[in-house]
Amino acid sequence: MTGDAGRDPALADAPLPVPRGDLRRSRVVTDPAVVLRSVLEARLDGYLTLVPQETLLLGGDARAVVTFDGGVPTVAYNTRTERGGTAALSDVALTGPYRIEVYELPSDALDPIHGTADLAVPPGAPARELADDDDLAARTRERAPDDRPAGGDPREEPSGVEAFLADDDRIAEIREQARAEAADRAAEWGLGDLEADPAGFEADPDDHGAKTGTEDPIDAPDSRKP
Amino acid sequence: MVEAFAVASGKGGTGKTTSTLALGMALAETHDVTVVDADTGMANLLFHAGLSDVDVTLHDLLVTGTARDVSAATYERFGMSVVPCGTSLAGFERADPDRLRSVVADLAAGTDVLLLDSPAALGSKSAVLPVVLADRVVIVVEPTIPALSDGLKVQEYARSYGTETAGVLFNKVREDVDRIAEQADRHFGGPTLAQVPAADVVRSARQAGEPLLAHAPDSPAAAAFRRAADAITVRSGDGDAVADRFRSAVVPETI
Repeated sequence: MTGDAGRDPALADAPLPVPRGDLRRSRVVTDPAVVLRSVLEARLDGYLTLVPQETLLLGGDARAVVTFDGGVPTVAYNTRTERGGTAALSDVALTGPYRIEVYELPSDALDPIHGTADLAVPPGAPARELADDDDLAARTRERAPDDRPAGGDPREEPSGVEAFLADDDRIAEIREQARAEAADRAAEWGLGDLEADPAGFEADPDDHGAKTGTEDPIDAPDSRKP
Repeated sequence: MVEAFAVASGKGGTGKTTSTLALGMALAETHDVTVVDADTGMANLLFHAGLSDVDVTLHDLLVTGTARDVSAATYERFGMSVVPCGTSLAGFERADPDRLRSVVADLAAGTDVLLLDSPAALGSKSAVLPVVLADRVVIVVEPTIPALSDGLKVQEYARSYGTETAGVLFNKVREDVDRIAEQADRHFGGPTLAQVPAADVVRSARQAGEPLLAHAPDSPAAAAFRRAADAITVRSGDGDAVADRFRSAVVPETI
């Protein structure tokens, strides 16, 4: 709780007429569930902004905005991808740690925005998409009013997952990072001898990428082990 | 013949242990199956298999200086050979993970299918070892972005050690995820083995200390696991060669 009522400049470009709120919390977290849980418990009326790690490092201002009504997530928008709803969440998922700032507003201040169907998210979607926290998602859904138009199980909104899997660049990035990490750790852990396996792969992640291919993994070489 | 599979996910809570035992029971209808709780830091297979009271576990085999034979920690349950791991911190601290490879090598010599219930994390040598040593990996995911992302990471780690993907098991599915599975197929090096529906019966099976296929054999979830097992064609590996590979894996002295 800093008590600092600073203006979030990134929201100036968002199509959401989000009024300036009072900053209640600003912290860097690896697990967004921590903040979503506290917002739910505090029954916050207001919004949070979420700046992913890559943006923190680059000093940019791309971020997602999620609004809350009584602690229950209501609408979401991503200022970088300019997408709303569950897609806004999936665009920013997995990019943590995040700097999350929580702003409080009078309970009726967001009423005009909360009627924006295009931007609506199911109540449990942020817990599920950003934190993969089933229990928190369930508790959030229980807290949501029965008449919430966008209510329901976020798993009934698979568009976020589909959008993620359709983003070949992002998938390639995840895989490349994992390969590099695996190679680094193989050396660190002294598991390098396995890579000397005759048909095995070289520790260089680039070589591996070329060997098995990233476009059509199903055509990966057949058993390379005895 | 033997083929070693690591059942892995990259994140916790996807139902890896439930999946390991379910696949094990289904495969045991046609093969000799040995299931090992290779998650030595956060073991839980013993609870799922009604073995929480046993005296000897994998931990005891991993203590340097003991000369216990693997048979001492191998229990015949539900048509499979089950090697549970203990849950005490003391047991984990005494255990020398380096010995896992020789234990698994001994087991590989006498079975058709070796299923290694693998740790959820990738952050330590002991956690990665099952994926390193296995012939293929079965990746268990929930249809969520974090779970799929972690599943892809596991696959890349596995590939880095020449371990192929046997397939992807979508677990805790609450609706048809055909479109997601179709997209996922493009990125994973193996087919979608099955979509296992989320079901309360999975929890009651765990509470009863029974694998799902024993507790609720007629449930839709059990049927899905059987379909997954059917989708895996077990290869006839040379048991001695697999054993040699486990023994020759270079693992440092300290974790």
